[in-house]
Amino acid sequence: MSTFVEKMLGAPAGSPARITPDLIVVNDGICHTAVEMANLVRSPDKVRVIFDHDVPTGRPEAARVFGSIRRFARENNVRFIQAEGVGYQYLLEQEVRPGQIVVQGGSHAGIYGSVGALGINVSATELARVLEHDYYNTVVPETVAVRVEGTLPEHVTMMDAAMAFLSENPCLAGKAVEFCGPQLTAHQKAVLCSMACETGAFTAAVTDTEDQDLVLDLSRVVPMVTMPCSARELQKDAVRQPLAVLAGMRLQAGQIGGYTGGTIEELRLAVSLIEGKTLARGFRLTVAPATSADFLKALDEGIIERFIDFGAQISAVGDHSVVTQGAGVIGKGEKLLTTGLYTYAGCMGVQDSEVYTGSVPSVMAAAVTGRL
Amino acid sequence: MDTVFTGKVWKFGNDIDTDTIIPGKRGTIPTIEEMKKYAFELLKPEFASTVQPGDILVAGTNFGCGSSREQAATVLSSNGVRCIIAKSFARIFFRNAFNSGILLITCDGIQDVCEGGDMVTVDVEKKQVTANGHSFTFGAIPQNLLQIVENGGLIADTKQRVAAGLKPSVCHKLDDAARRKKGFTMAEKLLRCNAGVDAIQPGDIVITHPDMFMIHDIYTPYLLDTLQKMGVEKIADPDKVTIIFDHCMPTAVAGNDSAHYDAGLALSDRYGIKKLHVGEGICHSIMHEMRYAKPGEVATATDSHTTTYGGAGNFCTGIGTAEMAAALATGELWFKVPEAIKIVLNGHLPNGVLSKDVILKILGDIKADGGQYKSLEFTGPAAHEMSMPARFTVANMALEAGAKCALFEADEKTAAYYDMPLNEIDWVCVDENAHYEKVLTYSVDELEPQLSCPQGVDNVHPISEVAGTPIDEVYLGSCTNGNLEDLAVAARYMKGKHVPDDMRFIVVPATNQVYKDAIRLGYIQIFVEAGAVICHPCCGLCCGMPYGLMYDDERILSTANRNFIGRQGTKKTLSYLCSPAVAAVTALTGRVADPRDFTTTEV
Repeated sequence: MSTFVEKMLGAPAGSPARITPDLIVVNDGICHTAVEMANLVRSPDKVRVIFDHDVPTGRPEAARVFGSIRRFARENNVRFIQAEGVGYQYLLEQEVRPGQIVVQGGSHAGIYGSVGALGINVSATELARVLEHDYYNTVVPETVAVRVEGTLPEHVTMMDAAMAFLSENPCLAGKAVEFCGPQLTAHQKAVLCSMACETGAFTAAVTDTEDQDLVLDLSRVVPMVTMPCSARELQKDAVRQPLAVLAGMRLQAGQIGGYTGGTIEELRLAVSLIEGKTLARGFRLTVAPATSADFLKALDEGIIERFIDFGAQISAVGDHSVVTQGAGVIGKGEKLLTTGLYTYAGCMGVQDSEVYTGSVPSVMAAAVTGRL
Repeated sequence: MDTVFTGKVWKFGNDIDTDTIIPGKRGTIPTIEEMKKYAFELLKPEFASTVQPGDILVAGTNFGCGSSREQAATVLSSNGVRCIIAKSFARIFFRNAFNSGILLITCDGIQDVCEGGDMVTVDVEKKQVTANGHSFTFGAIPQNLLQIVENGGLIADTKQRVAAGLKPSVCHKLDDAARRKKGFTMAEKLLRCNAGVDAIQPGDIVITHPDMFMIHDIYTPYLLDTLQKMGVEKIADPDKVTIIFDHCMPTAVAGNDSAHYDAGLALSDRYGIKKLHVGEGICHSIMHEMRYAKPGEVATATDSHTTTYGGAGNFCTGIGTAEMAAALATGELWFKVPEAIKIVLNGHLPNGVLSKDVILKILGDIKADGGQYKSLEFTGPAAHEMSMPARFTVANMALEAGAKCALFEADEKTAAYYDMPLNEIDWVCVDENAHYEKVLTYSVDELEPQLSCPQGVDNVHPISEVAGTPIDEVYLGSCTNGNLEDLAVAARYMKGKHVPDDMRFIVVPATNQVYKDAIRLGYIQIFVEAGAVICHPCCGLCCGMPYGLMYDDERILSTANRNFIGRQGTKKTLSYLCSPAVAAVTALTGRVADPRDFTTTEV
């Protein structure tokens, strides 16, 4: 019986495959240089150009990138999207359908596997080729099947579970990770699939596979943190460990945002955890709703007002996992706990600062105590 | 200080603003020693590496206009500049420069006989400057300022006073009968009431006891440092002090902002300052929203746009950090009584024309130095018809004409906003027999929407001359036009509509209260559905922070108060200022548009 990725790529593991994508996504993250390399766009209807990272532009250089990808979209008659929030989450909610193949320059493209679509992360150079040719060549990866069992304890989320899974299974690079977890919510599936690719997996998906190479027992998961690392290239090797190891460490800032912390599900959870509590003096809390749709729901449910009254700073919708200049950055010697996706030096401010990732309950607990 | 000295000339033109002296984005570097390397970096990048101690700047009119940042003076003094000769100086810079030990000489003529690199000789006793064989005389320098320069600046001066033991300052305000005496401008009334002096005239120096001092987070590290240098252990009255984090909060410039945050908390702790607002919105909007700056009183703050509360008949004006430190220690602050210009606003504002258009029109007419050291005093039916936020908009932007303050008469609307009996504040009014230097009369019936165009606040054009210009980004916010009423105006044009897919439309409510009210009234939802991104209440892009910075040749239209070169992006970014109505319809079309051509929807 074929695995998910074999079916999607139309060939058995180890064989070459040429696929035609259904969606090709360019954003202002690290792959935007593809627009300077691509000489033409074969299938404009399939392409989405999204400005979702440096929102609102925190440097003139970001405005230059905006102009560059916008011009590319206009010249090639391609749909341009901005001010809608994190592109992954926006596309997941608005566009991506089961059975589709999405080619994107971004290490979390596995997120589309949560709805049964295949997300493939490619380099900017590859992305330019896909734009020009409308196909992509790859070798079909091996699949690791993971059975997801049990339910999460209180104050533990799927983000903790994903970190625990990655720390316990260090050899996922190049593999397709196929989860079977019918009990998971759509949001939990999205978090699990996207984060599963952080250590170099080819892609991830949630299916009803009956294979079982590994087990992820949710009931045993404890709050986790990803430790700081020195450079972006080393992010996939960053250490993930139980938060308890560092409990009591003083923090200056916290951030919830992105699809791991800024969706309506996560915002509801976060606001429930601050009821009757006050923000620790000297602690800065940033709340960044994932998409405009999430933001509108949070506005209507009174969640944003409650965050404002708590003393949080509400950031523009968008992907704020990497902010070199813009709301929520930290300074020399400061420590930030974020639901973001990166912890490399300088990803949220100066080089001489420390970024840790953790789940929404961990960030909100820190906001009240000022400590991990 | 020698009474005769000679230095090498650095030559400058007219209207050298504080952003040119030290760019806004450099203004938060925590130490002066580091910051001074960026003096004049856009205009004369060689300045900081070339300037020698004793060099003299020779400039045209209105030197040092723009912000209140004391750093514009201290980057010069720390680079060794001890003397600046100009045709005229902007008023806050004037105070700041003397306070940092720089001798300012107002002299017209020397500019025509020397070039950069020439030598100029100053004789303080003879009141004469000489260059290339030509001599010019200059006017007297007030004795109290000369003393500060001789003592090596205000810090050293105050340090001596603190060490000698400060006596508790006694404040004798005028009683109700005395403050109702007729024949004074509003500025004179407010100053004489606070200072407790009966006779007063322009040019007098009066010692006031401000009723409220406000410090914002750009200056917290420098203020803390200055208070320590002065040896200040205790400030005069912590309950009269407010600290507001708004320029650097949310922390957005990683190398600088956390130091400002920490210093603000330390100031609050060390000096017992309980009025502390961390990331709750823009200082000037909070100052009137919280009723900290009241009609009939005197307020001061470390920011140029402190003139805002003049909309409520409060005498308020910006000062530098060293001066704030000295004033916090003593509870006192001197003011030179300003001349006044009366501005009579007749008629009724047409639909689509707002108070922002009125002040832009005035700015275009009187120019960036037209209100230099002056009190602009507004009266007439159209002034009284304006809501309180509309008056705050006018008073806020009057600073851009160099005004010392901009005052509206206290009326029923003022009394209602402040929940005060009218008869407690109605003495703040224009007297028929007061002396005004000039009277400007406007009929607003025929006024068109106005835009301040690149690159200068006073480059004002009616919309008919600018309509159709493509715009890349629209910014709705700032202490000028980020109030609930401003958001309501924009929401009425935007309800159910969407901006073009490449229009960057950024909305920043002025305060948390405005933000929450705008959520409850559905305005925020209208903007999000129209394609806006909403940022947390803060000064944001208005002061050049990273909330939509632009690239070369891009055009931004904003409801803010300044379009200095380089402020909203690179030095090639083109920046326009306008009302919230123009901002809304321009965002919808992607080109400068006239709100009078659009319909509104009830929101």
